[in-house]
Amino acid sequence: MSAPATRLSLTSGLSRWLGEHLSLVIGAGILGFFVLMAIAAPLVAPYDPVAQMADVRLQPPSLAHPFGTDNFGRDILSRVIWGTRVDLQIAFIGVAFPFVIGTLLGTVAGFFGGLVDTVFMRIIDIILAFPFLVLMLSIIAILGPGLASFYIAMALVGWVSYARLVRAQILVLKNSDYAVAAVSLGFSRTRIMFRHLLPNAIAGSLVFVMSDAVLVLLNGAAISYLGLGVQPPTAEWGIMVAEGQPFVTTAWWITLFPGLSIVFLAFAFSLLGDALGDLLGVHE
Amino acid sequence: MTAPLLSIRDLVVDFHGGPEPRRLIDHVSVDLAKGEILGLVGESGSGKSLLCRAVMGLLPSRRLSVDGGSVLLEGRDLVRASAAEMLSVRGSEIGMIFQNPTSHLDPVMKIGEQIAEGIRFHEGASGREARAAAVEMLARVGFPDPSRQYDNYPHEFSGGMRQRAMIAAALSCRPKILIADEPTTALDVTIQAQILELLLDLRESLGLSVILITHDLGIVAQTCDRIAVMRGGRLVEQGPKRQVLAAPKHDYTRMLIGSHPSLPAHEEVKPAAAHSQGRPLLEVDDLHVRFDVGGSFLRFGGRKQVSAVKGVSLQVMEGDTVGIVGESGSGKSTLARAILGLTPLSSGHVTFDGVDLARQPGKALAKLRRETAMVFQDPLNALNPRFTVAETLGEVLRVNGMPAADIPRRIDELLDLVHLGREFAGRKPRSLSGGQCQRVGIARALAVNPRLIIADECVAALDVTIQKQIVDLFAELKARMNLTLLFIAHDLAIVRNLCERVLVMYHGEVVEEGPSAEVFARPQKSYTAALIGAVPDIDPDKKLLAPRSDPAPAAA
Repeated sequence: MSAPATRLSLTSGLSRWLGEHLSLVIGAGILGFFVLMAIAAPLVAPYDPVAQMADVRLQPPSLAHPFGTDNFGRDILSRVIWGTRVDLQIAFIGVAFPFVIGTLLGTVAGFFGGLVDTVFMRIIDIILAFPFLVLMLSIIAILGPGLASFYIAMALVGWVSYARLVRAQILVLKNSDYAVAAVSLGFSRTRIMFRHLLPNAIAGSLVFVMSDAVLVLLNGAAISYLGLGVQPPTAEWGIMVAEGQPFVTTAWWITLFPGLSIVFLAFAFSLLGDALGDLLGVHE
Repeated sequence: MTAPLLSIRDLVVDFHGGPEPRRLIDHVSVDLAKGEILGLVGESGSGKSLLCRAVMGLLPSRRLSVDGGSVLLEGRDLVRASAAEMLSVRGSEIGMIFQNPTSHLDPVMKIGEQIAEGIRFHEGASGREARAAAVEMLARVGFPDPSRQYDNYPHEFSGGMRQRAMIAAALSCRPKILIADEPTTALDVTIQAQILELLLDLRESLGLSVILITHDLGIVAQTCDRIAVMRGGRLVEQGPKRQVLAAPKHDYTRMLIGSHPSLPAHEEVKPAAAHSQGRPLLEVDDLHVRFDVGGSFLRFGGRKQVSAVKGVSLQVMEGDTVGIVGESGSGKSTLARAILGLTPLSSGHVTFDGVDLARQPGKALAKLRRETAMVFQDPLNALNPRFTVAETLGEVLRVNGMPAADIPRRIDELLDLVHLGREFAGRKPRSLSGGQCQRVGIARALAVNPRLIIADECVAALDVTIQKQIVDLFAELKARMNLTLLFIAHDLAIVRNLCERVLVMYHGEVVEEGPSAEVFARPQKSYTAALIGAVPDIDPDKKLLAPRSDPAPAAA
C-alpha cells in the first residue's frame, strides 16, 4: 500500500516543481532543441543547404521536401536547420559583448560617481538620442556589410542598457551596510566593486540578457533582410524570409518556416528570461 | 463582568502553501472588554499581528485562511461576515493603526482629507461636515493648529505628528475598538511617551477599547489593563497586567520579563574608577560634520549645509565602554562614521592611537581600517547575501594577510567566540535569524583583532530576548578581551547596563557626559532627564513621564 503512495507523492512533487517552473522547462526545452539541431546539422539536414536543384524549384511541402523548396530549388528544411547555427551565434555574440562592456562600465560609473559617472551617463544619453536601427545601420555602412560589422555595431550601441541597469543597482548597493562594512575593513576598491557589489547587482542584467537576445535575434534578421548582415547564399533565417518575400503569395512556405523558427527561438528566450527573473527574485 | 465587546474564540489561521497546511494561529481565545486596553505581547513571528489582521478580515495573503473559531463583535461573527459587511466594520467599528505612519499615509493627499475620507464614506457626511469633523479630530489628537494643518501633506510633519494623524484617521468614524500594531516602535522615546499618553487620554474621553500590539513589556506595563502573551501562534498566558508581570506562570513570559532591559531604580553611585592615565586610544576634538543639501549646478548659491555633528569632543581610553545615546537625528551615527573615516570631516580632529585623521589621512585611514571594526544596525543587510559565513570571515582574514592554512582554524575560533555552532560556517545570511546574523557581524568585527569596535544601534532591530543575548555577548567579550567599545543606541536601559560611561547627544552636540550610573541617577540637563523619564518601565507603578511640551509645530 505504501509503495504506490510514496511514488505518487514523488511524482506529484516533481509535477508540482514542473508546474511552478513551467516557463523554465518549456523555454529550456525549445532552446535545447535548437542547440541540438545546430550541433547535429550535418547529420539531420537531408540536403546541402546551398545546393541548387533546378528540377525541384518552388516545390510545396512534400515527403521528399517536408518544408518545400525555394526558387533556386534549395531544400527549406535543410536551410532552416543550418540557419540555426548562424542565428544562435548572432543571439549569443550579439548579447555577450554589450553585456560584458555595459556591466563593467556601469559598475565603474556607479561606484566612483562624480565626473566618471557624469561622462558615461552623457555618452549614454547621446547614444540613446539616436534611433537604434539608424545608429546600427550607419555603423555597419561605415564598416561594410557582414556579421563582424553587425557584432561591432551591437557592442557599440547595445551596452548602454546594461550600463544603466547595473549602475542603478550599484548606486543602491554601495550605500548598503555590507558595502560600508567592506570599506571599514580595509578592502580594496576593486575587491568591493567586483567581489561584493557586482555579483549582487547583476541579477537584473541577467534577466535582461534573455529579453535582449530576442531583440538581437530580430535585429540580426532585420539587418540580414536589408542585405547588410549575413550574405547569401549562407542559410540564415532573416535572409530566407527576405528571399521568400517576392513569392509570399505563391510559395508561402519559403517565408513561413524560417519565420516560425525566429518566433519559437524568441519565445524560448522570453520564457527563460521570465523564469530567470523568478529564480533570482528580480520581480520581488 | 459584562459581556466582552470583542471575543475571539479558538481562532485558527492556516497557511496553505506546502503539501500540509501550516498552522500560524493555533486556537487562540481572548476577550476585550469595553474601555479596556489589552496588550498583545510577543516576538516577531509569534502571530500577534496576524491575529489582529484576521480579526479585521485583512489576511495578507490568499494562501492564508481562517480555518476555525470565531470572532464575535457584540455577538456578530466577523469570520462569517461577507466582504461587504466587513467594509462597514473596518473603520467604523474597528480602526487600525500601524508601526510606520510614513508608509501608511498617502503622501500626495492632504492629511485632513485622509481623515475626512473615512467620515464621508462611512457616515455619508457632506464635504463641509466631514471637514469640520476631521478638524475636530485633529485637535483631539493634539494638532496645535488643526484648521490650517488640515491642508498640510504628510511629509510636512514629524514622525510623531504623522502617527497622531494616523490615529485621527483610524478614530474618525468613532470605532469602538482601536487596534494599534506596534504604534510607537518607529518613534523616539520622548515621542513614544506622548503617543502612549494620547492613547490613554482617548480611552478616557471616548471609552475606546484598544488592542495594543507590542514587543516592549515596558509599554504594556505602563498602558495596558490586561496582557496576552503569544508565542509561535499560541497564546501562552493571559491575565491582568500586575498579575502577569509580578507572577508570570509560563516560562516564556518569565524569560521575556527577564530579558527586558530596565533602568535600575536607585543605585549607590560609586565614585568613578580613576581613569587609567596615559594617552587615550581615541580622541575626538571639536568635530564638525556638515553635509551639502539641495542646490543643483543650475541654481548657483542655492547650496545649503546641514550640520550633523557640531563641535563634539570625547576621549576613549583603552578598555573603555562608552555609550552614545540620543534620539534619531541627533548625529550619533554620523559621529561614528566620521570617527571611522567613512564620512569626511568638515573641521576638527579625530585622533586614533596618536595618528590624526585630519593631518595624516592616509596613515590614519590605514590604521583605522586595520584596528577598528563596526557592527551595524540591520544584521541581514550588513552581510553580503551571496557569501557564506565562512567566506565572509575568511575574506577579512585573507585581506589582512593571514596565511590560507590558518584561516579555517581561525574561523572556528571566531564562531566559538560569538557562540555560533561551527556548522554555521557553510550557511548564507538568508538562512540565519536576525540574532545569528548579528553574531556573524560581530565575529567579522572581531576577525581583525580590533582595538576599537563601534556598534551602531546593533540591537535595535532584534527581539528583546535576542537583544539581551547580544548585549550579554558584548559584556562577555569586553571582560575577556579587554575590548574598547563605542556603543551607540537609542535604548537607554541597554546602554545603562553595558557601558561605564555615557554621552548624551542632542541635535549634533554632546549635552551631557559622565559615568553611566551618575548620569542616569542624577541627570544634569533637562533633556537627559526627559529622555530617561520617557523610558517605559516594566514596573507599572513607576509612572511614565511624558514631557508635556507642546507637540512640535508642523510645517518645518
